[in-house]
Amino acid sequence: MSFNPAILTDNWREIFDGMVLTILIWVAGTAIGLVIGLAVAVIQLFTTRWLAAPLALYVAVMRGTPFLIQLFVIYYGGPFFGLDLTPLTAGTAGLALYGGAYFSEIFRAGFLSVPPGQIEAARMMGIGRLDIVRHVQLPQMLVIILPALANMTVLLSKETAVLSVITVNELTSVVQSIGSTTFAFAETLLFLALVYWAFLEIVTAAARRLEKRVGRFMLRTQS
Amino acid sequence: MFDFNLIIKSLPMLLQASVWTVIYSLSSVAIGFCIGTLMCAAGLSASRLGRGVAAFYVSFFRGVPLLVQLLISYYCLPLIGVNVPSSVAAVGTLALCTGAYIAEILRGGFLGIPHGLVEAARMVGLSRAQILTRIEVPLAVRFTLPSLVNETTMMVKASSLISVVGVLELTRLAQNIATSTFQPLEIYLTAGAIYFVINGVITLAGQLAESRFRLEKAR
Amino acid sequence: MTAHPVATSRPIIDVRGVWKRFGAAEVLKGIDLAIRKSEVTCIIGPSGSGKSTLLRCIAFLEEYSEGEITIEGELLGFALENGRRRRVSDAEVARVRRNVGFVFQQFNLWPHMTALENVAMPLKLARGIAREDAAKRAQAMLEKVGLGARAQAYPSQLSGGQQQRVGIARALAMEPHIMLFDEPTSALDPELVGEVLQVMRDLAAEGMTMAVVTHEMGFAAQVADTVVFIDHGVIAASGSPDEVFRRNENPRLRQFLQNYFERNVFWQGNGDVAAT
Repeated sequence: MSFNPAILTDNWREIFDGMVLTILIWVAGTAIGLVIGLAVAVIQLFTTRWLAAPLALYVAVMRGTPFLIQLFVIYYGGPFFGLDLTPLTAGTAGLALYGGAYFSEIFRAGFLSVPPGQIEAARMMGIGRLDIVRHVQLPQMLVIILPALANMTVLLSKETAVLSVITVNELTSVVQSIGSTTFAFAETLLFLALVYWAFLEIVTAAARRLEKRVGRFMLRTQS
Repeated sequence: MFDFNLIIKSLPMLLQASVWTVIYSLSSVAIGFCIGTLMCAAGLSASRLGRGVAAFYVSFFRGVPLLVQLLISYYCLPLIGVNVPSSVAAVGTLALCTGAYIAEILRGGFLGIPHGLVEAARMVGLSRAQILTRIEVPLAVRFTLPSLVNETTMMVKASSLISVVGVLELTRLAQNIATSTFQPLEIYLTAGAIYFVINGVITLAGQLAESRFRLEKAR
Repeated sequence: MTAHPVATSRPIIDVRGVWKRFGAAEVLKGIDLAIRKSEVTCIIGPSGSGKSTLLRCIAFLEEYSEGEITIEGELLGFALENGRRRRVSDAEVARVRRNVGFVFQQFNLWPHMTALENVAMPLKLARGIAREDAAKRAQAMLEKVGLGARAQAYPSQLSGGQQQRVGIARALAMEPHIMLFDEPTSALDPELVGEVLQVMRDLAAEGMTMAVVTHEMGFAAQVADTVVFIDHGVIAASGSPDEVFRRNENPRLRQFLQNYFERNVFWQGNGDVAAT
C-alpha cells in the first residue's frame, strides 16, 4: 500500500478546525456534565424521595444504554418534542447528559465518604445544610474523588468521536471524510488514532500531576 | 402521536437483532479476557520486553476511541491483504479494546493477592503455570468480579458502535427501521430499552455470582 | 513411626555459614545448624532477630546470599559451577525441597477452595495422584488434625486454630520428611493456641522431624530436643531445653527470657507475682 502524508498537510485547515471543535465539545460537555452531576447528587442525597427516584432512573438509563443510542434519541427523536437541534447542540447535550450520570455517581460516593460526625458537628453549630455542603463536604471530598473525576473526564474526550455518527464536524468526522474522498484510508485513520492517543496520554499525565499536587496539599494541611 | 403499534410490530425483529448484540459483545469479552490475562501476566513479568509490549498495548487500546479502532480495522485490514467478514474484524477489535481494560482490572486483582498464598502453593510443589491458573487467576477474578461485570456491560454498550462499520446488530437494525418508517424516537427508545434489559440481566447475574463467592471470601 | 534420633546420622537439613542480606541490612550472619531425623528444633529469639528469615531460607522462600543449605544431602537452590554458584530453575528448587513441609504464620489457605480442596489440590497437581485417591488421603489428613467433619467448609468459615490445622494437614498430606513451622500460633487468639500446639505435639511424638520458630516457650521446653536462640542474625545459644532455659548465662538470652516471663505473669491469690 502506498503512503501519502501530503493528504494530511493539504487539508490541515479542516483538520485543525476539527480538532478545535472536538476540544470545545469536550470542555463544554464536561463542564455541563459536572454541573448536572453535582446537582443530581445533591438532590438525591438531600431532598425528598419524589425528586430522587426519577433522577435515579435517569442515572441508571444513561449508564445502562449505549451513548450512540442516546445521541440518536436526542438528535432524531428531538423533533417529536419540538426540539429541532443542530447536530452540534444535540451532540454536546448528549455528552453532558451522559457524563452527568457518571459524575453524579462519583459525587454521591464523595459525599458519603465524609464522616457523618463532621456534619453533625457543623449542624450543632447551626450551619445551614447548603453551607455544610459548600464549606465542609465539598472541599474534603473533591480531593478524594479527583482521580475518579479525572478518569471520567478523560473517557469523555474519547466519546466525542461518536458524535461523528450524527454528522458533527469534529475531528473523526473531518478526517474520515477526507479519507473517503481521497481513498487514503491508511494515512488518515492512522493519523487520527495517533492524534487521539497523544492527546489522551497528555491529558492523563496532566490529571496524574494534578492529583499528586492536590494530594500533597492534603497531606500538608492534615498534619 | 407516539406510535405503540410500531414498537409492537418491530419488537420481534429488534429482539432477534439483539441476539447478535449479545453474541458479539460476550464473545469479545471472552476473547478479551484471554488477551487481558496474557497481557496482565506480561505486564507483571520480569521480562522487560513483556512489560514493554503490555504497556504499549494497554496504552494504545485505551488511548484511541473505539470508533477509530473500528474504522481502522474496517478500512485498513483489506489494505494489508486481510480479508475477513466485517463482523469478525469488528469482534476482534472489540476484544482487543476490552482486553486492554481487562488487563488493567486483573492487574489490580493480581497485586491484591496476599503473597503468602503463592508461597504456600510453591511450598507444596505447584509449578509456575499451575499457580497462575489454579491460584492467581481464580483469586484475581473473584477480587475483581464487580469490575469485570461492569466491563462486560460497557462492552454490550460499546458493541452498538460496530453498526457504523456495517455489522448487523441491534443498533444497525434500529437505524434501518427508523429510516424506513421515519419514526426514529419509538424505535431508538425501544432499542435503548433492550440494551437496558440486557445489561440489567448481566448485572444481576454478576451479583448472584458475587454472593456465591462471598461464602468463600478471605477473612 | 521410625527409628530413634541417632546423633551421628547425616542431618536431614544442614545449614553451613549462611548469610542473608536485604540490600545493606545483614539479617543472618553466618548461621550453622544441623537438623537430624526425628528431632524437634525450636528456634527462639526477639522479633527482628532473623529467626523467620532463617526458616524461610531453609524453605528457599528467600534466597540466601552466602553459604550452603543442603536437604538430605542435596544443595538447595544453587548449583556449583567452577566454584561459583548459579541459581537453579524453580522446578529444580521444587524437586530438592519436595520433602519439606511448611506451615505459615498466616495459614495461607486458598480462600476459594474448601478445606478438603486445599489439601487435595496439591496432591493432584504436584504429585499426579488421581482425584478420588487425593480426596481420600486429604480426608484422612483432616481427620488426623481433628477436622474430618469440616472438610467442606471454606477457610472463611473456620476459626484461626482450625485454619492452621488445615494448613498443617495440607503440608502433611505431601508426606514430608521434615516440617517447618513459622510462628504457627502467633496469629491466633490465645484460646485457640492450644489446639494447634496439641497437633504439633502429636506429630513430634510420632517421630516427625520438625523445625519450629516460636514464641511458645512452654512448647519449646516440653517438646524440643534442641533449642536455638538467635539474636542479631547469629546463633547466640543452643542446646537442650534445660541447657538453654536454665543453665545458659548469655546475657541477651537471660534478658529475652526475663522479658518473656514478665509479659506472662499474672496475680496469684496471695498477691505474689508468678510466671505462667
